[in-house]
Amino acid sequence: MSNQAATVQLRKDWDGGVSPFGVSYGKLFMWFFLVSDALTFSSLLCAYGFMRHKFTGAWAKPNEVFNDFPFVSRDLPLAYVGFMTFDLIMSSVTMVLAVEAGHRKSRKEVIMWLALTVLGGLIFVGSQCWEWYHFITGSAEHQRAVDFWMNGKHIVNQHFEGANLVVNAYTALPTFGDFFFCITGFHGFHVFSGVVINIIILIMVAKGMMDKRGHYEMVEKAGLYWHFVDLVWVFVFTFFYLL
Amino acid sequence: MSTFFEEYPDYPNYEAAANHDEAHGKQIRKKLWMVFWVMLIVTLIELFIGAFFSEQLGELNKEYTFIFFTLVKAFFIVFVFMHLGDEKKALKYVIIAPYTLFIFYLAFMAITEGVYSNFLTGVGDALSAAALSH
Repeated sequence: MSNQAATVQLRKDWDGGVSPFGVSYGKLFMWFFLVSDALTFSSLLCAYGFMRHKFTGAWAKPNEVFNDFPFVSRDLPLAYVGFMTFDLIMSSVTMVLAVEAGHRKSRKEVIMWLALTVLGGLIFVGSQCWEWYHFITGSAEHQRAVDFWMNGKHIVNQHFEGANLVVNAYTALPTFGDFFFCITGFHGFHVFSGVVINIIILIMVAKGMMDKRGHYEMVEKAGLYWHFVDLVWVFVFTFFYLL
Repeated sequence: MSTFFEEYPDYPNYEAAANHDEAHGKQIRKKLWMVFWVMLIVTLIELFIGAFFSEQLGELNKEYTFIFFTLVKAFFIVFVFMHLGDEKKALKYVIIAPYTLFIFYLAFMAITEGVYSNFLTGVGDALSAAALSH
């Protein structure tokens, strides 16, 4: 072990035989994947910003659309989204604690923190289901007469609540609903995959595979992905719900 | 069949090199929890402004305020939670530089070239008309 450390010191970074970035190839390529994924989300949010500014005034006010909270009375602007943000940040913290425990090779702690992370992810996905359900079914508070085309017929002045890809009751623009479904759906799918990855890693840790390898880097790589999901949500939260 | 490390005994074991002891771990945990509190407070401020002051602030000021807070949170997530701050300079640049370049390019395109959408006819006009009539 000490022999290897000495080799790192002697060699120059770009002379070959060592990683110039000082990380294993697995972690490096997880970073590269995250950069490309971040660009996908950036272009989605950029397109959103473009449409939002093109139709300023006609766009829905998010604190009037998302003002519902489960089991509580109505009109709490952004409270539930705030809870979802808190939940995701909290699960990010438990993930980073799992990574830290992994660096100490403390299997028990890794299992505990990873399980809490999975729980936080499941709460988030569940919350998003609830949010979608409410957005789609709508409420009496948001209703409007809409015109749209269906099966080749132009339907005029139809009373409408909720939202779909063609019309929504929150604005006259279908674009608002489309972007909501596209961006939060894409992010929600990332969260779902993250939960699945975390469960797989949790099983691997519980079976003692990381101890056999002598390191818990797999937890760290899954953690990178999970933090990225949190990072994206921070931006979606700002651009979609706050602005 | 031999493993990679048997074949290249000189190659440094980066995975195991990341391990640390209990004393160091305690320090790291303290830092992580501090960052958590900072992020929580920033989120609460954002929510407070978003729920109660979004009308008074004015459109442009609001956007700058929220983008500033978001970038603060993004910095903490990437540099502390994802440990990019502890990585080598080469890795930091290889992650941050291409992304930043593309983002500036994308935002520039959306902001400066976006005005041309006002000259479009067809779908855009129909949408604008629909938006105004309701």
